[in-house]
Amino acid sequence: MSGKGHVLKRLFCTASAAAVMISACAVNAATASAAESYDPYSYDQWGDAVSSQAGYTASEFIDGQKIKGLYEHVEAMNGFDYDEEEWKNLLNMKEPADMFISGDDLLYIADKANNRILVTDLEFNLVNYLDTFYYNGKTLKLKNPEGVFVDKYTGYIYICDSEGGGELNDEGEIVNNAIGRVIKCDTRGTVDRLFEKPVTELYDQNLTYNPRKVAVDKAGNVYIVVRSVTKGAVMFDIAGEFIGFYGANRVEATSEIIMNAFWNAISTEAQRQRMTKTTPVGFTNFDLDDDGFIYTVTESSDVKTDVVKKLNPRGSNILSSALGDDTFFGDIPPAYYSIYTKTSALTDIDIGPNGEMNILDFAHGRVFQYDKMANLMFVLGGDGDQLGTFRSVSAIESYDNKIFVLDSRKNGITVFERTAFGEIVTEATNLYNAGYYEESFQPWQTVIKFDGNYRRAYVGVGNALLSAEQYKEAMEYFKISQSRRRYNKAFEGYRDQILQKWFTPAIILIIVIVVATKVIGSLNKKGIITFPWQRKGGV
Amino acid sequence: MLDLTQGQFVKHVVMHPFEGFEDLRWKKAGSIKIALGIVCLLFIQALAYNRMYGFQYYTDYDKLFNIIPYIFQSFGLFLLYVVCNWAMCTLFDGEGSMKNIFIVTAYSLIPYICGYLIGTVLSHVLIRDEYIFIQAFEVIGTAWTVVLFISAMKAVHQFSFGKTLALIALTLVAMIAVIFLLVLLLTLFQQVLIFIFTLYTEISYRLRV
Repeated sequence: MSGKGHVLKRLFCTASAAAVMISACAVNAATASAAESYDPYSYDQWGDAVSSQAGYTASEFIDGQKIKGLYEHVEAMNGFDYDEEEWKNLLNMKEPADMFISGDDLLYIADKANNRILVTDLEFNLVNYLDTFYYNGKTLKLKNPEGVFVDKYTGYIYICDSEGGGELNDEGEIVNNAIGRVIKCDTRGTVDRLFEKPVTELYDQNLTYNPRKVAVDKAGNVYIVVRSVTKGAVMFDIAGEFIGFYGANRVEATSEIIMNAFWNAISTEAQRQRMTKTTPVGFTNFDLDDDGFIYTVTESSDVKTDVVKKLNPRGSNILSSALGDDTFFGDIPPAYYSIYTKTSALTDIDIGPNGEMNILDFAHGRVFQYDKMANLMFVLGGDGDQLGTFRSVSAIESYDNKIFVLDSRKNGITVFERTAFGEIVTEATNLYNAGYYEESFQPWQTVIKFDGNYRRAYVGVGNALLSAEQYKEAMEYFKISQSRRRYNKAFEGYRDQILQKWFTPAIILIIVIVVATKVIGSLNKKGIITFPWQRKGGV
Repeated sequence: MLDLTQGQFVKHVVMHPFEGFEDLRWKKAGSIKIALGIVCLLFIQALAYNRMYGFQYYTDYDKLFNIIPYIFQSFGLFLLYVVCNWAMCTLFDGEGSMKNIFIVTAYSLIPYICGYLIGTVLSHVLIRDEYIFIQAFEVIGTAWTVVLFISAMKAVHQFSFGKTLALIALTLVAMIAVIFLLVLLLTLFQQVLIFIFTLYTEISYRLRV
């Protein structure tokens, strides 16, 4: 992948891609967001779906053929005698399972069924092609890699070799002992360390070890999501030693669990042995934000607790302590524009540059974008075959104003770009979340002009008015946005204003009336004045 | 003594929980018109409580509005109670006529209605931290009504205290039974209607062919 020819070609490709993008933007601006292949929607305060403007628009679909340089690279590969069918597969992606954008802006794709990692830049020029690794004089191969991660501090690549690809023997055949492992290597495929099944009492040796996803924190601790482990992520320290499990989900308090707890309390030890044990559902995927916090998602559709978590280094969920346990993620059933009632299955999470959470819903093929306070910003995607819809989503990444969604049945990446509407909402949300309520007034007003259903905009305008002490106007906006807690605050201020203005006149008026009645009453008694109704006829 | 107009009697009864209803019975006072007015107020109170409460408090789903539940909550339940109570009191040798039961039950509801109406008005003036004041009005109103209610039942049927409580409990059971039968009846009618409709469709198809 070197040489002047390639550099020139890449330059040309970049230039042409940029040109295409500029013209695409121009077209987008003209047609606004009416061209979406799905109906953008949002939820109101009641949890009812209301139609909305699109915050992102699907700009292109990248399959293997569109990765520039992949064809040349595969063609030039020799030493392996691929048959026609296999060779064709290599020109495309096949069941890609994971995707990661590294600190140096390269896109790593775990091309699962092709047993390789593709590395491209963000214009989709092939930069690196990893399928062979060198470890202590041995040559390692991958088998169904399901996860990839790049440590932005050290630059090391971590690959989840889920089935354990084994190694090449002297005849060039793959000897596969099918032991899952995580490979830590550099960009040339030189392996630094293998993270294999920990041999310790803490790890039940009967359990399989199929690493699905991997992440590395600032301190160099390695977190691995293993398919059969429900105690949380398997955690290794920087020296490759097994430390323990990290960030397990809690068990949801269903009626069954409560009954079990009751029986547990009154049963004997022998009876307890025979009862079914309740284990939490293990989380599916995670991502790190810029501050090093780990966010997890849980895919299982029959749990509601701990579906999305933000974990501190101790492994406790700080999202639920900040927002309460009843924050809802994914589609609120029944889903809008759908005849089926499905429960969301959140399969991947990505933390954007402003702390926004992009959550990928496998059940509906949708991306839910939340701001960092877990307020829904946009919903994009849906089931289907057109550009912008999906068949079987597997991973999500975001970069700047783009969202990349990997589809393991469409075998490619859909690129979403933020629309003008999305830009304004993002700007307003960022200002708002940073506490600049008054500065966010103008952007929120613009958002309302774009989309009158956008509830958060009314809350934003209301809060701006509230901090400007325009309580009466704030009350109106909070009323529209059905935000009773904030309305209460605005109402308190408004009532204070009214009281300050009218308290003295009201008291004076009451005193005057009381005194006047007393005086007139006593005068009446003395007969000095008589009321019309007291006069008898003829007097 | 106690030469009060009908209007004055209402005040007397509400303000004297323990002998008010005895006086009412003794004087053969109590107006069915006023009682009806009170039930109408009960209906308005039910509506106001659900629809006109201060915005910072209520949490009702206000996109849909259906008046039937409110009618049932006020007129329906009230009439049901009166009928069931009358039916039960005949078994216990109670002395109240249907008209008397209607009147005293309605009169005893006045503090409840007032408490909740005052609460509804206050909910437009107070903030959430001050909800305790609204709650006080509502709780006092309800408690007062309970006292009046028991006293009313006791006076109208000339029962002992224990017997009154038993009667009220039995009346509630009877109400549940009536509601159950009504629902059953409705369902059966629905089935019959569906059957007739199916028959009609079937025949009309045959005729067309």
